[in-house]
Amino acid sequence: MPEEPTNNNDTLLQVEDLQVEFATYGGTVQAVRGVSFAVEAGKTLAIVGESGCGKSVTVQSIMGLTPMPPGRITKGAAYLRGHNILGQKTINGKDIRGDQIGMIFQDPMTSLNPTMNIGNQIAETLIVHRGYSKKQAFARAVELLELSKIPEADKRARQYPFEFSGGMLQRAMIAMAIACEPDILIADEPTTALDVTIQAQILDLLGDLQRETGMAIILITHDLGVVARMADDVLVMYAGQVVEHGSVDSIFYESAHPYTLGLRAAMPSNDPERNQELTPIDGSPPDLFQPPVGCGYAPRCPYAMKVCAAQPPAVHHIGPGHEARCWLHDPANTQAVPAIHNATQVAHHE
Amino acid sequence: MSEPAKSPTPALLQIEGLVKHFKLARDQYVHAVDNVSFAIAEREIVGLVGESGSGKSTLGKTLLGLHDKTAGTVTYRGEVMPQRYKPDDFQKYAPLMQMIFQDPYSSLNPRMTVGEIIAEGLKLHSRQSNQAITEQVAEWLQRVGLEPDHMSRYPHEFSGGQRQRIGIARALILEPEFVVCDEPISALDVSVQAQVVNLLDDLKEKLGLTLLFIAHDLSMVRYVSDRMAVMYLGSLVEVGSADEVFFHPKHPYTSILVASNPEPDPRQERERTSTTISGEIPSPVNIPAGCRFANRCPKVMPECHKVTPQLMPVDNGDRLVACHLYHG
Amino acid sequence: MSQATQLPDDAFAPLTRSQHVQSLSRPSLSYWQDAWQRLRANRRAIISLYLILGLLLFTLIGPLLWRVDPALQDVDQISQPPGADRSAILTEDYQPWYGDPNTPGEGLRLAQPASTQAVRLQWEADPDAAEYRIYRNIFPVGTERALGLPLFETPANQTYFEDRLDLRPGVYFYTVVIMDSAGEETEGVILPDGQTPGSLPNQLEVEVKRVVTLSEARQRGLVDADENPPMGTEYQFAWHPLGTDYLGRDMLARLMHGARISLFIGFFAPLLYVLIGVIYGSMAGFIGGMTDQVLMRMADFVVALPFLLFMILFKVVFSIGPGESGITPMLVAMIILLWPSTARLVRGQILQIREEGYISASRLLGAQTNYLVLRHMIPNTMGVILVTLTFAVPGAIFTEAFLSFIGMGVAPPTPSWGSMCNEGIKTMLTTPHELIFPALFISITVLAFNLLGDGLRDALDARMRNRE
Repeated sequence: MPEEPTNNNDTLLQVEDLQVEFATYGGTVQAVRGVSFAVEAGKTLAIVGESGCGKSVTVQSIMGLTPMPPGRITKGAAYLRGHNILGQKTINGKDIRGDQIGMIFQDPMTSLNPTMNIGNQIAETLIVHRGYSKKQAFARAVELLELSKIPEADKRARQYPFEFSGGMLQRAMIAMAIACEPDILIADEPTTALDVTIQAQILDLLGDLQRETGMAIILITHDLGVVARMADDVLVMYAGQVVEHGSVDSIFYESAHPYTLGLRAAMPSNDPERNQELTPIDGSPPDLFQPPVGCGYAPRCPYAMKVCAAQPPAVHHIGPGHEARCWLHDPANTQAVPAIHNATQVAHHE
Repeated sequence: MSEPAKSPTPALLQIEGLVKHFKLARDQYVHAVDNVSFAIAEREIVGLVGESGSGKSTLGKTLLGLHDKTAGTVTYRGEVMPQRYKPDDFQKYAPLMQMIFQDPYSSLNPRMTVGEIIAEGLKLHSRQSNQAITEQVAEWLQRVGLEPDHMSRYPHEFSGGQRQRIGIARALILEPEFVVCDEPISALDVSVQAQVVNLLDDLKEKLGLTLLFIAHDLSMVRYVSDRMAVMYLGSLVEVGSADEVFFHPKHPYTSILVASNPEPDPRQERERTSTTISGEIPSPVNIPAGCRFANRCPKVMPECHKVTPQLMPVDNGDRLVACHLYHG
Repeated sequence: MSQATQLPDDAFAPLTRSQHVQSLSRPSLSYWQDAWQRLRANRRAIISLYLILGLLLFTLIGPLLWRVDPALQDVDQISQPPGADRSAILTEDYQPWYGDPNTPGEGLRLAQPASTQAVRLQWEADPDAAEYRIYRNIFPVGTERALGLPLFETPANQTYFEDRLDLRPGVYFYTVVIMDSAGEETEGVILPDGQTPGSLPNQLEVEVKRVVTLSEARQRGLVDADENPPMGTEYQFAWHPLGTDYLGRDMLARLMHGARISLFIGFFAPLLYVLIGVIYGSMAGFIGGMTDQVLMRMADFVVALPFLLFMILFKVVFSIGPGESGITPMLVAMIILLWPSTARLVRGQILQIREEGYISASRLLGAQTNYLVLRHMIPNTMGVILVTLTFAVPGAIFTEAFLSFIGMGVAPPTPSWGSMCNEGIKTMLTTPHELIFPALFISITVLAFNLLGDGLRDALDARMRNRE
């Protein structure tokens, strides 16, 4: 994806044309097919898409968490402050994972050691990455738990993961992820397993921490509500590609890709005035076992044109920092673009 | 969907003081469902919302006999359902009430073909020829938006949404009257949720179903259901018409639930003030005395810790709230 | 976009779509087909599978092709390694011999060609000798002067010796030591023909050829009764591809028949105890509650019994009578003692499956208990049961071999790999093939089953992991 000039000083992470494949029985699945994006300090980038669209694989392969084999990065680069980190574990002797980029997952239980108390697990990162003494590290761990708004942090630090509820575990994971004051926090569906009230607490916490530390957040989610609440920039992914990229307002109010529109139309509106029908997106995402020839969304797209099924669309500039990978926006197309604007107006209440 | 939200009189299903406790250890019980009473009218969609651990799924399963009732009665068309179901009871009530399950992965037997899964009800209930059964299965596959030649495939070959369609066909092939949908869309992607919801809505119209729609997604429940019941820690805190409960919540818990629900609208989200409440749903093993929500409630009063509020009508009667704010 | 110029005119016309949005692009695979594909990709498992199939052929078809009685003793070929020379030359009947001073040559020498009938040695008298002591060794004698077996002592005037002691075809080393008048051995030996004194004791290397007399040849069926072939005709004794054991029984036939016993126990014991375990475990898991507790405590009790002690006790209690092989008591003991592990495993699986949505769905549709168990629960535990079975087979084979090896298994003369090892270990140093062959069969079989089990587990587990 042709980006804006990237010598912006605020750019922390710059991913260029990332391609990831998985070898499975009977063939290769092209999970990520050329993804580019940039993350700026203090900003939140949301990556939205359905399960299987490659959003988790994208960040996992940047972090070196994709099992290889069967996974394989076939192309691309990811620059963290100018250093390519693909396939690297450290830059200038400093660990990338845990030190410069923190990570939290949907299911915190699987990433915590059940036989070690929470405080020691957080302390361990500090001992490994920062060379703290055991005592110092534990004291800092308690501070971090307090920072994550865990009540009675002192007592909680001595408890084991099974004594924590899901929301508390996610807080502990956040405390662990921010222990080394990373530049970037990757949150992979952090609230999907949680209830709305707990989700609201966790999202508030993430927002507060971002304001305090100025770290960038990459938020992976499928919930447009969470995106609307948290994101500055949004990357909409479909079938292993970025289909639309822009600021949160442009994504929601000037949606340029039919998939983004489809996602919004498939969600119930909370407007008491309107009781509109839900418009589902027909069908299911393509199986990347057989990558589509043209646009991956064409079989489900209400605006699909002949060219969509035949040739992959290029990325088109829609507005400042707003791009969409769609034939509708091709200069040669004269007919169908109004349809998309109409749909935008229908879906967006003024 | 836009029918008036009053509780029409001839209730299809009447629940009175339903209690379900799970024994944990000697003298320790999980109070999953505690003294729940409400009625579901014919051809009505009742949404049941609550956080995980609120007992909403247990309530649904107890209604259908998948759990034994600890106390209370369930009356279906005037007939009192057994306290503990035997296989013969299930056999008897299967053509009347069915369930659509949450997890589209574990609710389909991975060793059976889709055809066998959908045909199970017919095989257990009718002495039709295999040919006739196959024809009905093919018809149902089409009705739920799949193709007849998917019959010979296995569940793992389908996506979550497609599996949920298979689960719907299995539950509806006996053409029941009452269906409990236990979080049928929670595990699905947004674009697919709408497909399944619309399919259910469509089938409800065609077959005249009565649905109990259990979910934790408030906006979806509001969209789907005629009436909404909010559950907290095993008991109902608010019942009313879906729009009323969603837009004008009366119980403090409902207000917080509605306010925590993120809107897919960035401008609205930026304007919103923080609405989080501290704390989490307490363990259902040691239920506090008084109102169960008292320890998290922003409007808590001393009385709340002493007296358990009852679900009582407010305003003109179709709204039931269990809160001392309204029953001073 | 530059490519836009190459687009056809109607490129932006709306797409008319066939409504096959729910089509599936991947080929349909059932659980077992998928597992088989995965297993096939695992080379070790497939080689093991072929080995096991080969072994079954060896046991079932082998005895039909190799029709040799495993109990038949070939007294001419005792403890013969495979590939040993089995030719025999027709020779005269034995005639007594009293030395032949006219034998050509000097020093220790053969008076006549050596044969299994007799080795006839002749030497010149040594003036210092009071007596001669004749040694025979099957290995060349080294500096340690281990001369081998002392055969005989001849007086000073008897300078010949005839060795007829248990001669086998092969090479023997003879040494004739000179004894002094006090009856002590001296350093001196009779120099064999053509040798000069060396640092090593001088010895005569004799190659013994197998011979057979006419009457013996007739007895063995090599020569017809009315035939009178000339002396020196070469005959071939019966062929034993893998040699013979210490009683002259054919190793190949014994291995084939031993495999029958080993594999019979190896398959049937696990099959039966896994079946019992499945029934017991699914009962406990399905009924649950108090019944489950009681049943599982009983299983714990059986697990707590010391296995080996009970096997031996069984053996004693069942007391094998004459002519019995001792297979039945072993089978019964294994079944009685080994079922609980499967029962526990299946119970765990059933408990887990009982909570799955499809069980609830099936109950709601009015399924009876036996339908639930047979249609839903057992098919979903089949994978685990199959893996258990594959691992149980080598276990049982090994147990049988071990018990037979320590003499607590099948009773002789019934061959089994374990008892063959037991017999072979006594002659391990001289005729290692008697131990190596059965041991090899046990090892390969056990290894093949384990590798197959590993492959099977991976193939079946992978399906469980990738449920999506």
